[in-house]
Amino acid sequence: MANEKVDVVIVGAGASGSAFAATLAKAGKKVVLLDSGPDWKNEDLISSEMWGRRIRPAGPPFLHEGKNPFGYVGQAGWGVGGAALHYFANFPRYLPTDFKMKSEHNKGLDWPISYEDVAPYYDKVADEVGVSGDAKSEEIWRPAGKPYPMPPMKVFKAGQIWKKAADSVGMRLVPAAVGMNSVEYKGREACIYDGWCSSGCPTGALANPLVTYLAEARAAKAEVRPMSTVTRVLTNAEGTRAIGVEYFDGKRERQVQEASIVILAAWTGQNPRILLNSATDKHPNGLANKSGLVGKYIMTHHIANAWAMMDEDVQPHMGTVGAQYMSYDRYPKTTNPNAFGSSYIVAGTSFKMHDYAGSRGDLFGPELAAHMKKAAKGLIRMNMFGEEKPNAENRVELVTQKDEFGMPLAKIVHSYDEDAVALWNANIDAGAKVAKATGAKETWSPRGGMPTSHLHGGTIMGKDGGSSVVDSYGQTHDISNLWIAGPGVFPTEGASNPTYTIFAVARRGADQLVSKWGSVAG
Amino acid sequence: MDVLPRRAVMKGGLLAALAFTIGDRVVYLSPGEAHAQGVALRTLKAEEAETLGSLCEALVPDARKAGIVEYIDQQISGPPSEALLQARILNVRPPFANFYRAAVGAVDKGVAARHAGKRFAQLSSDEARSFIKDMQANKIEGWQGPGTGFVYTVLRTDAVDVVYNTVAGYEALGVPYQAHILPPKKW
Repeated sequence: MANEKVDVVIVGAGASGSAFAATLAKAGKKVVLLDSGPDWKNEDLISSEMWGRRIRPAGPPFLHEGKNPFGYVGQAGWGVGGAALHYFANFPRYLPTDFKMKSEHNKGLDWPISYEDVAPYYDKVADEVGVSGDAKSEEIWRPAGKPYPMPPMKVFKAGQIWKKAADSVGMRLVPAAVGMNSVEYKGREACIYDGWCSSGCPTGALANPLVTYLAEARAAKAEVRPMSTVTRVLTNAEGTRAIGVEYFDGKRERQVQEASIVILAAWTGQNPRILLNSATDKHPNGLANKSGLVGKYIMTHHIANAWAMMDEDVQPHMGTVGAQYMSYDRYPKTTNPNAFGSSYIVAGTSFKMHDYAGSRGDLFGPELAAHMKKAAKGLIRMNMFGEEKPNAENRVELVTQKDEFGMPLAKIVHSYDEDAVALWNANIDAGAKVAKATGAKETWSPRGGMPTSHLHGGTIMGKDGGSSVVDSYGQTHDISNLWIAGPGVFPTEGASNPTYTIFAVARRGADQLVSKWGSVAG
Repeated sequence: MDVLPRRAVMKGGLLAALAFTIGDRVVYLSPGEAHAQGVALRTLKAEEAETLGSLCEALVPDARKAGIVEYIDQQISGPPSEALLQARILNVRPPFANFYRAAVGAVDKGVAARHAGKRFAQLSSDEARSFIKDMQANKIEGWQGPGTGFVYTVLRTDAVDVVYNTVAGYEALGVPYQAHILPPKKW
């Protein structure tokens, strides 16, 4: 079934899709967002780790290979709001060095733009969605920018303990920048520190798309169609223009949505899957893939955890899943002599039951029961996110198995290189040192399997169509009215949580699309 | 903007409740209530249920009384998109019943190979403990099924869910639940 042609069809109503939708709809464009999952509302966001799993995908369209397979489902979203419906809302920026890895270190890749190109959008996004923090205190590590619109969030005992311990070993911690309301902001309530953020915040205190860009897009008449699974981007006979998308609606019926502009803003693994599945005789290797790089350079962060069990009651259930403190002290990519890459540190988060249980995954039986009692009073944690270099062998590719719509599944192949492994180990050591400085009798830093967190790459940006899929705005090099949004366009991943940069890069791309609409939309 | 007022504790709706069948009636119960009332299982066979209950009880004390068997049976008997199971976010491919069947089958086969044909539920406490430790370390010879360490992780998480991850579980541990929107009492 064909629907009335619109100006823009956006695939995915998560962080980047919502940012594009708000900008374009407010510019008067007729926008349709297609999302494969339900149209979640605030009242659906039940305060429960178990019920919170409903806003994650059920069952993988992705298979996993490699030495360090990516943990897919917990990180992805399902439904309107996407993964940003359950994200931690830590809002660190990428730093200038992240945009110049190749130039500065002769490793990895460069972005085709610099920090200065994105920085104005960090400031815009902060004002638009609401960020709490102390921008001035971050300037020991980064160029100055505008102050955040809200003061830092409240600090609880866990944060106080980490701050004191970090001070004692010479690690600088400053108030964490988070996409949460420390005070009422734009009619949205201030946070009450109940810690249910990653089950979905229904109060509006956390800057998820439902209460920020998606709300703005809807107010500007953008249409959201839930339960709409896009399988292909459609092109004209010459293969020179995208003409719309094919999707299956909630009744499993095939639909076509024509549009002047197509924006792929699905999950990072899903955008390459759609492009590869959109192959035609004019694009035999998939759309926007003349470079052969669609699906390549998948990257994830590794995480080193440092745990401590305090004797005192630190009320670990109080706060947010975002951090109370942050540090870029280990961000320079040559911080460790034998472990290249940036590290970003957060300390002082609130916990739920699976944090208590998961902090000692080796315990079971009566020992686990005893641990749960102690952890509920005294558990604290510091995390160090670590970077891996872009590596074309880490990739998304189609497999022969198919989903219910006849679309090939995809596999994500991912292995950490020696630098990433060394950096992870160095971060474990560094975290353990701070944990011991808390004075806790019991501290531990697990060295089991290397975690994977935050998926980037697969549709990277660059200066030309030979070495990248899109330009710095998200416009594909091969088809001018086909755009891509989200962390898939990042050619390096830094070590910062990505959503602030996802919003900033998407807003920059959306402004560019509006400004050159006539030449792009045709 | 459609946001909820702070600490707007709402009743969980029946649509969010877990449905169990008693006789020819559909009733909404917590897993613990379903266990106490002897709700008939829909998907798991008796031996599978026995193994699952014994293993989860060994992993997390009180899991059986909290209704771990009834919870998993109810969850794997419905659409995967409505499942609350941790398997959902650990890359287990639906239907989830396949995973649980394979897991408990592998456990019993592994136990039988070590203990002269016994099943897990027939092990002594020390034998069960030793077997679980070897599961953690992927040291069960001849194991056929999902990875031993992965089975340990998924089932332990399920058991933590029914014992601790409820309003009652929080209360038992002395942790304020602090809900914005309460989960339904009757699942």
